[in-house]
Order: sequence, then structure tokens, then C-alpha cells
Amino acid sequence: MKRGFTILELLISIVLISVVLLLLLRVMMSLEVINHDTSYASDDEISRTEIIKNIQESFLDNHLNGINISKDDDKTMITFMMDEEKTLEVSSKTLKFDGETYSLNSKNATYDTCIDYEYKALENDYYFVTFTIPVLIDGENTTSRDDLIFTYIGLINENTSYPSNYTC
Amino acid sequence: MRRGFALLETIIVITFVTVSLLLLYGTFTSLIAKKEKNILYDDASNIYQMYYLKEYLELNGLNDLNTDSIIELSCDNFSSSGCSLLFQEFSLEHLYLVSYGLKDYDEEKFSSTFNQYYQSLSNNDAYDYLFVGEFKIEDAYHYASIGVTRE
Repeated sequence: MKRGFTILELLISIVLISVVLLLLLRVMMSLEVINHDTSYASDDEISRTEIIKNIQESFLDNHLNGINISKDDDKTMITFMMDEEKTLEVSSKTLKFDGETYSLNSKNATYDTCIDYEYKALENDYYFVTFTIPVLIDGENTTSRDDLIFTYIGLINENTSYPSNYTC
Repeated sequence: MRRGFALLETIIVITFVTVSLLLLYGTFTSLIAKKEKNILYDDASNIYQMYYLKEYLELNGLNDLNTDSIIELSCDNFSSSGCSLLFQEFSLEHLYLVSYGLKDYDEEKFSSTFNQYYQSLSNNDAYDYLFVGEFKIEDAYHYASIGVTRE
């Protein structure tokens, strides 16, 4: 009468279970990598889109004519000179614009108060301006996918007033 | 009387578990791939860049271009040298003008990433053309598009 496993049966079972566990491990590792890459995007994707839309729409509605950037210790103020002047206040965890406050929900994420700014002249009196508010994960700008990038192309007139460059 | 599992029983159970796990893996990877692709499509920043690019290029010859299929645009199509600067600043790799609602086109002429993006679009609005930008950001191809209406 046979009881339990023979050594061969045990070996075959262990090999098969190992294969299954290896497959499972591969799945878990790929999920972990993906989760790390997209953790910010999934938590703050909607509010990021909302901020970009609100600010870009106000550029279109109110005709952006100039920008003024000033920095304190812990926050940066960006004043947009438009038909109606508006200010964007950037601090490490929040953005304030037009009476609205947007807070970061993602774990370990902060706004970099050192913004990137660029102004360039185009042909026929047009100009191009862009500024970026980088998003840091654990203090590092791991991907530009999360950054808030704003763009404007306009026609130079007597009221146009932009800094030619800005260094934080 | 026999006790415990026989080898055959163990193999059957393990095969069943393996198949279940493989199915689960397939489902997860396809969901993740879809989510990853969506992150690359129609980002708000890219949409506004496309809007300003369209407005600027309309002043420099975009309105003179017509097609009933897809044409790849380069700065040679436009009269302004500012086009090259904007391509560089926006990390634009390619720019396309697509006849709106186009169903059949020669997919082999375009990259697989472009084809996947184009096929993901709903085409439910009423434009004459679609102005599509391919951005290369951190070695990944991002896409954004806006509708073009001709007077």
C-alpha cells in the first residue's frame, strides 16, 4: 500500500510550483515598476489637467501681455498681466490661482518652487513664452510627465512686458 | 487505502493554477498597456501647444494645405522660420494634417504608435481636418491633436 509522495513526485511537484511562483513573481515585479512610474499621474492627473486648462483658458480669454516672477523662501509668485491681472502662487504642496487652491495628493510629491521660464521672439513681431512648474517625487524630478507646462504665443504690442530670461 | 495526492492529481491542479495565473497575467498586462498608452495621448499641455502651433501656422500657410488622406507636414510647408523653433521647443518629431473622419489609409506609411493613436480617436465632432502632433518626450512618443475648421 502506497502512502504520501515518493521522492520523484515531490521533486516534480516542487519544480512545477517553482515555475508557477516564478511567473507570479514576474507579474508582481512588472506591476510594481508600473505603479512606481505612474503613482503621481494616477493620483493627481485630473487636478493637473484642471490647473493647466484654467490657466491656459485665462490666457486665451484675457490676452496675456506680460509675466512677472518673484520668489520668496518657500513660494514663487507668477503675475500674469492680462486684461485682468491674475497671480499664480506656487508653494511646495499647493498652487493658488484665481481663488482656487489645488493641493497635491500623491505621496512624496511636491511642486518645485524653482520654475523654468523661457521667452523667445518669433518672426513678424510674434513671441513664444513657456514656463514649467516641475513636480518632484522625493525631491527629484523623475519624469516630465507630471510637470505643469504652460505655453503662449502672442503678438508684441506696446503693453507687452516679459522678462527675457529668469533664473531661480 | 491510498493517502495524499497522486502525482497525476498534483500535475492537474498545478496546470489549472498555472493557466488561471497566465489568464490573470494577460488581463493585467493588457489593462496596464492601455493605461500607459492613455497617459501618452492628448495631454493638456500638448493640446494647448498644438492649439498655439495651429494658430501660428495658420498665419503662415497652413490654410493653403489640403488633403483627402494624411499629409506629413514639415517646416518647409510654411513661410515662417519660427516653425523650426517651435518644433524644437515643443519636442515635436512629426506633424500631420489628417482629413477628418478618415477610415482607410496606408498604415504602412506611418509608425505603429501613430496608427494606434489615430485608431483611438472617436471622430465624433465636425471638423474639416485633424492637426496631429507627435512629441518625443523622454524616449516615448506622445500624441495630441486638435480639430481644424476651414472657412
